[in-house]
Amino acid sequence: MPTRNTSPVVRPGNPGRAAEGGTKERARHGAARRRGRSERLAPYVLIAPAVLIIVALRLYPLALGVNFSFTGDGDANGTAVGFANYLELLDDPLFQTALANVGLLVLLLPVAVAIPGLLATFIYLKVPGHRFFRSVYFFPAVLSPVIVGAIFNLMLAFDGPLNEFLGAVGLGPVDWLGDPGVAKFAVVGVQIWATFGMALVVFLAGFATLDSSLLDAARVDGASLRQSIWHVIIPSLSQTIQFVFVTTMIGMLTSMFGLLYVMTSGGPEGSTYLPEYYIWIQQGQMNRPALASAASTVLFLIMLVVGLLQISVLRRAGRED
Amino acid sequence: MKRTLCAGVVVLALTVAGCGSATSPASTPTGSAAAGTTKLVVWDWKSGEPYAASYIEKAKADFAKKHPNVTVEFVPQPFEQYYTLLGAAMQTKTGPDVMLFNGGGQIRDRADSLLPIDEYVAEDRSRLAGWEAFAKDGKTYAAPVTLQGHPIYYNKALYEKAGLAAPATTWDEFLANCDKIKKATGAACFALGNKEGIGPQFWLSGLGSGVLTPAEYDAWIAGQRDWKSPHVKKIFEMWKEAGDKGLNNEGANSTAMFTDIFSVFNTGKAAHIIGLMSDIGHWKDFGEFIGPDKVGVMLAPTVTQGATPSLAYDGGIGYAVAKWTKDPKAAADLVRSLTTTDALSSFSAEAGAIASDTTITAPQDAPAVGVIVFHLKTGKPALHVAMDSKTIDLMGRLSQKLLSGSATVDEAVEELAASDQEN
Repeated sequence: MPTRNTSPVVRPGNPGRAAEGGTKERARHGAARRRGRSERLAPYVLIAPAVLIIVALRLYPLALGVNFSFTGDGDANGTAVGFANYLELLDDPLFQTALANVGLLVLLLPVAVAIPGLLATFIYLKVPGHRFFRSVYFFPAVLSPVIVGAIFNLMLAFDGPLNEFLGAVGLGPVDWLGDPGVAKFAVVGVQIWATFGMALVVFLAGFATLDSSLLDAARVDGASLRQSIWHVIIPSLSQTIQFVFVTTMIGMLTSMFGLLYVMTSGGPEGSTYLPEYYIWIQQGQMNRPALASAASTVLFLIMLVVGLLQISVLRRAGRED
Repeated sequence: MKRTLCAGVVVLALTVAGCGSATSPASTPTGSAAAGTTKLVVWDWKSGEPYAASYIEKAKADFAKKHPNVTVEFVPQPFEQYYTLLGAAMQTKTGPDVMLFNGGGQIRDRADSLLPIDEYVAEDRSRLAGWEAFAKDGKTYAAPVTLQGHPIYYNKALYEKAGLAAPATTWDEFLANCDKIKKATGAACFALGNKEGIGPQFWLSGLGSGVLTPAEYDAWIAGQRDWKSPHVKKIFEMWKEAGDKGLNNEGANSTAMFTDIFSVFNTGKAAHIIGLMSDIGHWKDFGEFIGPDKVGVMLAPTVTQGATPSLAYDGGIGYAVAKWTKDPKAAADLVRSLTTTDALSSFSAEAGAIASDTTITAPQDAPAVGVIVFHLKTGKPALHVAMDSKTIDLMGRLSQKLLSGSATVDEAVEELAASDQEN
């Protein structure tokens, strides 16, 4: 905590002192003043590296990017076009799909949080083989999205093992990655599979702080498993759950590019586009860097809102503490 | 406290120095004419491949004879990231002096950053083919290295099993043949991978010459695309028909073009594939699996009267010169060295590409190449190469909708017409 008494106490010199003492006093006085100035400046100098790095490597490029989004592409390169890029984005059905998919991800968030939460609960309650599951569940979290995507490309191929299995049990094949209604859920499912290990670890850490006497008391009072989860575990873990919600949301919005790139390339019919994939296509394939900058700015604003929500949620959780 | 301040100043100084070096370009890739020696930087996605080694060596040797004081550095980039990296370099006007391009939309979209090289390559005009793919508004921006096209390959072994002697020349006959092959071998008519939406580009260019009249074809290439023409619509109707009648392999919309679909053809699960001429998905790849003598090449079956089927091809890849290069003459000479008959012969032989040089003879052990080279004389530019990249991207998504039934041909053609006219 900062205190108000950081400035050094400089005592005023006594004017009634002897002359020889007066020179010494002045010298001491001057040294103290210099010390005072250097101490006042020190904090600014010390935070200067961090500020400079943030300004030069973060804020300045950000401002450049936003500025760039108000210029044109191709022949209009470098000329100001006002909000034309943003209007084009609003008009582009592909970008609308990308934004709608962001909404879908937010809606699917409870599922993405509930799965690791439930599995962590089972591990905490020491179901048979819980040690094995604890390590196996974490395993996908160490794989890169590209490898995960490649594995599921094979698994979910039209003539792949999953459809063969469905055929063997008498169910028709599903075009997992070729049917727009199915593909987006397939990709989100794979994303959850690939990342829930990390959330599981966070939940297990949360369980470590859980007061086991509460659970014992509930058990003595005859609470069922469902009642224990609902009335004891969830309230005790509210902070952990909030944290997992926020981190999972950020993860879904910013780290699905690799999976999309490998699994669907934004298809079929553009149904699995997310803003970051859209940005990449416009910049790299369509040679529309200014339009991509506008899309980046929109994504930045979305992330800013998510970030501010995150801060408010964490702050509230902190207050409850 | 003085020590604190001093430490702070040192940290600050180090940070400023660090920022300075991080934000300034690490090196200047453009030719820096220092003390009489110049350096040319070349970006491509080929020079790192083992099969291109002797091609690059020969080109370098040829260039060294003309410009002994100029050093050349080839920087191979990953193809997936190539145009993203190039786009960033072009924005800052600090990029390579010479760079490789795919013909068509990719180079035309970036022509404003390139130097017209017509005056330098006049001598090579008649020897090389495929210039149009690198031209915009009457100016040429790159010299072709390979030719890329879309022949219709067929599996002769499957044809023999179905008792068919020769490929069809009309669409109805073609459909009847497919029916016979399906009954005799169980193979699908077309191997189609449309996960990325690339399928309709191959379809349009592979089959278009059998549907459009020569006048319509030439007008299309010249930019006068009549989307209201029933023949244009017919091409997309055929695409839908192939999907609806089960002519394609199953799961076309979720099968990747360059990784998965060629194996469908290679393993005899489909009788036809509209493939490529150079690089991948071509006669050499297929020949390794089904045997070089079993790879057949056919022209598009005739759909409408008056259409004259031809092989669709363009310049495939070619080297261009950046506008910002300090020594345009040397850069253009490097492009010329990269397209000598000697260098291209190496590339053709080792990469299995159809080189742009018309004086190179085709290898004797692959009959399919002979057929392709024979059809080059009457060939025409591919239909999709004349379109802009935005409309092509839209066509990819619409083609998936046509296969899944969530869009009609009329809707698709209307949307494409609007996009084509807008861009």
